[in-house]
Formats: sequence, C-alpha cells, structure tokens
Amino acid sequence: MRTVFLASLRTHTRRYVAAAIAVIVSVAFVVVIGVITSGARAGFMENAGAPFRNADHVVDAVHVDDTLDTSVAIEIVERLGKNASGLGLVLLPTRTGDRPASEMTVGPIAPAEEMRWQKLISGRFPERTGEAAVHVWDAQAREIAIGDRIRLGEGATATDLEVVGLVESPSPTAQASVYVTWPQFLHWRDQPSFHVSRVAVRGKVGQLPEGAALYSPEEYVRNGQAKLSNHADMIALILLVFAAIAVFVSVLVVANTFSVLFAQRLRDFALLRCVGATRRQVMDSVRREAAAVGVLASLTGTLVGVGLGYALIPLINTLAPTTPMGAAELPTPWLVGGFTVGLVVTLLASLLPTRRVVRVSPLAALRPDTAVDGHTATGRVRLALAALLLVTGLALLGVAMVQDSTVLMLAGGGSVFAGVLLFGPALVPRLVRITGALLGPAGRLATKNAVRNPRRTAATTASLLVCVTLTTAVLTGSATTRAAVDEERDRDHPIDVALTSPETPVTTDLLDQVRRTPGVEQAIPVEGAMAQVAGLDEPILVVTAPDAERVARDGGSFARVEPGKIRLDYAAFDKNLSLRPGDRVTVRVGDRRAQLQVAAGTGWGQAGVVAPATLAQLTDAPEPHVIWVRASAGADPLELVGDLAGLANAAGAEIHDNLQARATEDQLLRILTWSVLGLLGIAVVIALIGIANTLGLSVLERAREHAMLRALGLTRRQLRRMLATEAMLLSVVATLLGTVIGVGFAWAGYETVVKPALKDASMQVPWPSLGVVVLVAALAGLLAAVLPARRAARVTPAAGLSLD
Amino acid sequence: MRTTTQATVAASARDLTKTYGQGDAQVHALRGIDLDLHRGRFTAIMGPSGSGKSTLMHCLAGLDHASGGTVTVAGTDLGSLDDDALTIFRREHIGFVFQSFNLLPMLTAGENIVLPLELGGRRTDDAARERAHMLADILGVADRLGHRPAELSGGQQQRVAIARALITQPDLLFADEPTGNLDSTTSAEVLNHLRRSARELGQTIVMVTHERDAATYADDVVTMQDGRIA
Ligand SMILES: Nc1ncnc2c1ncn2[C@@H]1O[C@H](COP(=O)(O)OP(=O)(O)OP(=O)(O)O)[C@@H](O)[C@H]1O
Ligand SMILES: [Mg+2]
Repeated sequence: MRTVFLASLRTHTRRYVAAAIAVIVSVAFVVVIGVITSGARAGFMENAGAPFRNADHVVDAVHVDDTLDTSVAIEIVERLGKNASGLGLVLLPTRTGDRPASEMTVGPIAPAEEMRWQKLISGRFPERTGEAAVHVWDAQAREIAIGDRIRLGEGATATDLEVVGLVESPSPTAQASVYVTWPQFLHWRDQPSFHVSRVAVRGKVGQLPEGAALYSPEEYVRNGQAKLSNHADMIALILLVFAAIAVFVSVLVVANTFSVLFAQRLRDFALLRCVGATRRQVMDSVRREAAAVGVLASLTGTLVGVGLGYALIPLINTLAPTTPMGAAELPTPWLVGGFTVGLVVTLLASLLPTRRVVRVSPLAALRPDTAVDGHTATGRVRLALAALLLVTGLALLGVAMVQDSTVLMLAGGGSVFAGVLLFGPALVPRLVRITGALLGPAGRLATKNAVRNPRRTAATTASLLVCVTLTTAVLTGSATTRAAVDEERDRDHPIDVALTSPETPVTTDLLDQVRRTPGVEQAIPVEGAMAQVAGLDEPILVVTAPDAERVARDGGSFARVEPGKIRLDYAAFDKNLSLRPGDRVTVRVGDRRAQLQVAAGTGWGQAGVVAPATLAQLTDAPEPHVIWVRASAGADPLELVGDLAGLANAAGAEIHDNLQARATEDQLLRILTWSVLGLLGIAVVIALIGIANTLGLSVLERAREHAMLRALGLTRRQLRRMLATEAMLLSVVATLLGTVIGVGFAWAGYETVVKPALKDASMQVPWPSLGVVVLVAALAGLLAAVLPARRAARVTPAAGLSLD
Repeated sequence: MRTTTQATVAASARDLTKTYGQGDAQVHALRGIDLDLHRGRFTAIMGPSGSGKSTLMHCLAGLDHASGGTVTVAGTDLGSLDDDALTIFRREHIGFVFQSFNLLPMLTAGENIVLPLELGGRRTDDAARERAHMLADILGVADRLGHRPAELSGGQQQRVAIARALITQPDLLFADEPTGNLDSTTSAEVLNHLRRSARELGQTIVMVTHERDAATYADDVVTMQDGRIA
C-alpha cells in the first residue's frame, strides 16, 4: 500500500493544490491575528511603560479602582524635586495665531532629563516657565512652529508661552498636546480639570501619605496592561470570529474537494479492492493522503502567517501611528493553534468523503457515476432534517424578535442556515435551472453541467453562500444602523455651524460672506436679543427662528418652541448650568420680563430658543445676532470651519460647529463596516478558490466529454464560454440565495437588536451595494472559471479522446 | 483507386505523416499515407494494434493536425484551416461514432441526437426534429429518446451515437471501433445499421476496427501495418 500511497500523492498533488490553498489561507489568518495581538501587547508594554522607564517606583492609589489624590501627588513631587516626575493633565482653552480658541490637554515635563519620557523631535525641552513643547501631531494640525507663541487659559490664569520644541508621546494614557515645566503646570492647579494621578520616582520615596502606595514599574505597567489588554483581547476575539468563519468555509471547500477527488478515483479504489486490498487498507491510504496534505498545508499556512504578520506590523505602524506596535514575540500558542486547526480541518473534511469511498462496493464503483436523488433513504432523512431545522430556526427567530433576545436570534439564524445548507442538493440545482433558463439555449449545456451532480453543486455553492449571506447581513445591518444613527445625530446636531455675535448684531455683509463661502449650502440670520436669565451668571442670547427648517438637519423641530418656554442647549453651557428642564425662570430683556419654562435640547450653540410670540413679548426690536449655517454634502469640515472661523473672528463673533463631530462619527462607522467586509473578504476568497477548484476538477473529469464536444463542432471559445457560464451560474445563484437570506437575517437582527436600542430605526436595504455584491460574485465566478476553462480549451480533441 | 475523378472522392490523403514526440521518444505513427475515400462507400480500416488506425482517422477527421502531407475533405484542404475553422468544418461536414463515452450523460438520447445542430446555433426546427425521428426509427431507438445514456444498453447507446452522427448529413462519418465494447449480436446490429446508412442514405463511412468480422460489412477494406497502408 505504501507504493500506492506515494504514487497517488504524486499523481494527485496538483489536484490537491486548491484544497491546500484554502487551508493555508485560513491557517495564515489565525496566525496573523496571533502575531498582531502579540505585537500590540509588546507595543503597549513599550509605550505605556515609557513614563516609568528610568524610575525605581511608581506612586499611585492603594486600590486599582481609586485614583491618587492630586494634592497628595503634588506634595510628593514637591518633596522629592528632581527625583520625581508627576503625571497629570489639565484641559485649557488655547489660542494659536488668530485661530479660534479650542481646548487642549496640557501636561508636565519632568525636571530631571533622564526621567523625561517624551521623545524630542526638534528644538529642546522647556526649561523655565513661559516655555512649552507641543506634540507634533497638534503642531501639524494647527500649524504651530518652534518660536510661535500660544496662549493657554482664559481670564486671570491666561498665560502666553513660547514654543521651544516639538515632542512625541509614546504613552497614550499620559499623552498631552502641550508640555510645560512642573512649576508652570502648577499655575493651573485651581482649574476643575487639573489632576496629577501618578508619580514616577527615582531613589527613596520616604514616608508615604495616606491612600498612596508604592509599585515597582514592571508590576505597575503589567497591571495597567491587564486592564487595557482586555481591550486587545476583545479585538483578537472578534478577529477570531472571522477566522472561524474562514475556517468553516475552508472546511466546506476542502470537504468538497476531497469528495470530488474521491468520486473521480472511485474506479482506482474499486480496482484496488478487486486486486485484494482490504477496506481498511484503502481507508488508511486515503487518510494518510489527507494527513499529508493537512500537515504540508498547515505548515505552509503557519509560515505564511508569521511572515505576513511581521510584515504587517510596520505597515500598521505607518498607517496608524496612534497605536504603535512593538516587536512581537513569536506567539507559540497561536502558531500551534493555527497548525492544529489546519490539520484537524483537513482530516475532518476528508472524513465524510472517505467513508463514502469504502461504503461503495467494488462492482458498483466500476459502473458510471449516477446522480443522487432525494428518494434514497439518506436523501429523505436529509430533507426531513433540513425541514426540521428550518422550521425550528424560523420559530426561534420569531420568538427572538418578540423577546428581543440576541441568543435566540443567533440560535435561530444558525438553525435556519444549517437547514438551507442541507436543503442545498434539492434547492440549488432547481435555482440553477431557473436561472439558466433565462440564458436561453446558449446556456443549456452549461446549466445541465452545473446541475448534473446535485450534491456537488450544492457543496460548491455552500461556501460562497455562507460568505454572501454574512456580507449581505452586514451591509444591510450597517445601512439600517447608519440610517438610525444618522437620524439620531440629525436630532442631536441640528445646526452644522452657528456664528454667534452677542454684543453687536451681525451685518448683512457678514451674512453674504458666509453664504459665499465654499461648502456652505444655506445660511440664515437668526433674530434675538441679549437677555438676563435668572440662575445664569452671564446674559445669554434669546433667539427665535421660525425659518430654521431651511438649515436645520432635523427639519427645524428643535426651533419650534411653544410660547412660554425657552429651550437651552446644555452641552453648550458645560456643567455650569444650574437650571433643570421643567424649571420656571424669569427672563429679562431691558425692563421687560417673562416667566418661561426651561426645555432641553442640543446642537445649536449658546442661545435660548423661544417662540416668535415670546420674543415679541420681550423686545420690540429684535436684531440678527446669530447665523446658522448648513454645509453642503461634500464639504470638507475642517476647511469649512476654518474659513468660517476666520470670518467670525474678523467680525468679533464666536463659532460653534457640529460638523467635525459628525465627520468623526461617520468615519468610525465607515471604518467599522469596511473592516468587517474586508475580514469577510478573506472567507470570500477561500470560497472562490473552492469554486475554481471544483470546476477545475470537473474539467479534468470531463476531458473526454469535452473532446467529444469539440469533435462534434464545439469551438474553443464556445467551450470556454460554456465553462464560464457554468461557474457564473453557480456563483450568481449562491449570491442571490445568500442575498435573500442575508437580508432576512438583517431584518431579524433589526427587529431583535436595533429596534429596541434605537427607537427611530427603520429597516434599510442598500440595493445598490447588494447589486454590487451580485455583480462582483458573477465576475468572480467568471474569474474562477478562467484557469480551468483555458486548460480545457488547450487540449486538442484527438488528445482528449485518447484519455480514459 | 488513385485514378478516380474528384467528383466521386469524399476525402483524400496525400503523403500523410504523423510523428509524436521528439528525439529518442519519437514515434512515427503514420509514414506517408496516400488514400482516397469514395463517396457513398463504407470503408473499413484494419490493422494490428498500434499500426496507426486511430491516428489516421484523427488526421482525416480534422481532430489533429498532420505532421506532413495533405488531407482534403469535401474539397477543402484541412491543413489550411485554423482551429476555429476546423471545428466549424467538423461540425458541418463530419460525423463521429466512438468506441465508448459517446453521449453526454446529462442529456437525453433525443437531446444527444440533435446536439450537433445546437452547437451550430441552429434552432431545432420541425425538419430537424423529423429527421431525428426518422433516424431514430431506422436505428430502432425511437422509443428511447427520453432516456438518459445511463439508462440505455451499450448497443442502444451506439445506435443513438450513429443517429447523432447522421443528423447533419455529413460528408464523412468516422467510426472508431464502434463495436469494440459490444457482444457479437449487438455488434452485428450496429454494423448492419452502418451499412444501411451507406446503402440507403448514401452516407460515406470510414470505420476503424480490428475485428475481421466487422470488416466484412464494409465495401472496401484498407489494411494498415506500421504506419503504412499494406
Ligand atoms: N499522443 C501520443 N503520443 C505518443 N505516441 C502516440 C500518441 N498517440 C499514439 N501514439 C503512438 O502512435 C502509434 C499509433 O497509435 P494509434 O493509436 O493510431 O494505433 P491504433 O492502430 O489505433 O491501435 P489500437 O488498435 O490499439 O487502437 C502507436 O505506436 C502509439 O503508441
Ligand atoms: Mg485505436
């Protein structure tokens, strides 16, 4: 049997290549995740640990969940002087050049050079009060250069500083935009956001105050990492889910490859049995073949994964410098895990077809291949099981939607999907026939070829079906969530940009300038008057905007206030607002006054919105003090806000924008969707390899038939087209079926998860994207057919006829 | 033989050679064949195994390019045709019956018979359907047209293959060991049908065989030996 085993491995190597590729890709996927996780962990140790690198001790609160008292920390730093480095932050409004003020984080720099953990990029560290170093990213964003002056803080604590250096911070937790000397930092100790929560110490610490504890730097960083790396593990876990999908798809692909291969070799096996090989011997030989393929493919996959992972780390570091990765240690458990998964997948996938091989009697195997039909005992059991799974699954989904239970939804979805897969051999060929009928007589042969072995047809499409279903569900789910989030955001940020001029009314000139600014779709003046509101220290603008719908994203509903009410934006007032919704307050303009009830809202800046009648009650001569702007669809938020800030500054007005927040949220959602699609893409690639593989094997199997067709007058091009049509039919049917199921799942998910969470959500089906998916699948099917079709067309009829 | 006029010659070969492989592994399968095949006649090509019968047939039928010499079928020099033109030429002028695996397993017998028409993009019109029925009648498979090849006996499969070869009214019908897989009774049946096709439909037929009995059904017998006509 040994010679047989070696000979068949040699003869069939090429046929195993595709199965091996599927295994390699999934193993590599798992290993890459391992390497990257390890890199992220190393990066964290290196970077988060930077502030404590040359320290002997770290002082922090006794309990992990507590924070060290700021006054205690200051006391330690003051006492130890050059041997201590306090870590803290304060949030200060900062003005650079003639840009509008915005909040920036400010942190201290250690007095001793060895304890300065920030990386100096250019210039020098600040040495005395009045000097500052700026983080390079902020310097880039705000065009700050060495030698510039920046103003930190407002009013009494405002300080002008000279920028003497640019630095980079390796530690994300201690990162600030501006760094100053410790004494300078202490200037702002009365600011509400001021805190010092950790102290790195060189040498002896001496008497520890109450509530403080000493940690060794290693221990301290590792503890901190445990917290944060939960996060990294979470991401690794999510990635693993995708790896599991890829692995599942490759099980389907590999199993199908083996069953096609074995079907083709049934005669060989039968012959072996006839010449005296026992069932056991045949089984063993086949198993050893699978094991050899599994070991080789898994080993290759592991190596490819390691190579790819280490190549990806520098790439990620350049693409996303905010989360630098370190030198990853070889993640042995991941490597072993990936290898094992690959081996087990191959062995498992070869198990079923192998069992079928030895069940067939030698004589039966010598007869030509007959199609499976649903009337056999196994066929009936299979259909019954499929029906059972479908019904149970649908029932579970129904219950899940009523009870909003995610667990039931997942169970139901899985059950339905398993049912569909089992129904495959009965369902998929029917769909292929229906689709093929649309092609007319040109597609007849292709259609018949595609369905001639229903089980193989179903198995080939199953892998793509899995991927498309998931992709469609993700696309539809994200479109639905997105629509809901958009709507909520429109409500929370009704006005894109508000220019407010409390002192003087805005001029029509300014309004014109704003309207002419590129990226402005519409701008309206808003009338109002300065008013004293009881409970507020400073006067605020009270405005009315009956025509707010012209610019508001929520259709202007935030500005439709009933007479007798005043709507305030809490976010715009920070936390200094002692008023609560429902309170009644006296609002006074000049000597007129009105009793108004407070209502809440957000997203239009620091003004109280009232009804026109209420404003008329307060003043006879309202003047435009505010301009509300709606940005056009494609406007660049940074540029637009910059331009408008320039106009506002020149006119002495303040600017309040929601655009940048919107853009960030948008981007987050987009990144999320694309990452998921990208990760699913790996599974899709495996599925396509599977289709190409089955087709390639079928082409080998049908070489004689093709030769005969060619002899009868089928041109090369017709042959190629026939095979391409066959592949396209398979992929399009899998895609259409997957799209339907995927949208169905998305709907179930929407009813179960999205609707309870976002009350205004409505189901959105992204038809164009789904169209693209079907199109891509069809093209990919064509692509999968290219190689097999070329190989088939190359054979001359005479050569094909002498094959057997 | 060589003196007959063009009008009665369906196909001819002149100094036909075919060489497989290169250097030491070179095999001269055909070493200069001169042959005329006459219209309406049933010719048997005989010879021992490995003598080049199949190779000759492949070259005459345009399934393979010759290494040297010319093949003319229905007045067309096959050497001057590229692959596509040759394929279309086969589709229109040549019919085939092979030893086995003649029929597409996923098509019914009836569909197999009209397959050559369909490959040409022709609609199976009433005339074609009528002809298919007539042929099926003659060949005794009329009641089997709805069955798949797997449900037919070997002899029935070969008769369906003959019907398919005749449907286009080809200038030449090639049969490579059409009875190789059949028992003697069934062989006789199939050979009778071939002979009737030649006699009654005026079909030119070339049959490769190494059975002496089979050759007795033919009008002419060409014997090959070591790549030459003996
Ligand atoms: N593709 C090929 N490559 C190399 N040699 C070939 C090839 N096809 C045929 N031959 C050789 O050419 C010679 C003629 O072969 P051919 O198939 O024509 O014989 P045949 O007369 O049909 O034999 P049989 O009666 O066994 O079918 C043989 O020696 C064979 O080995
Ligand atoms: Mg032969």
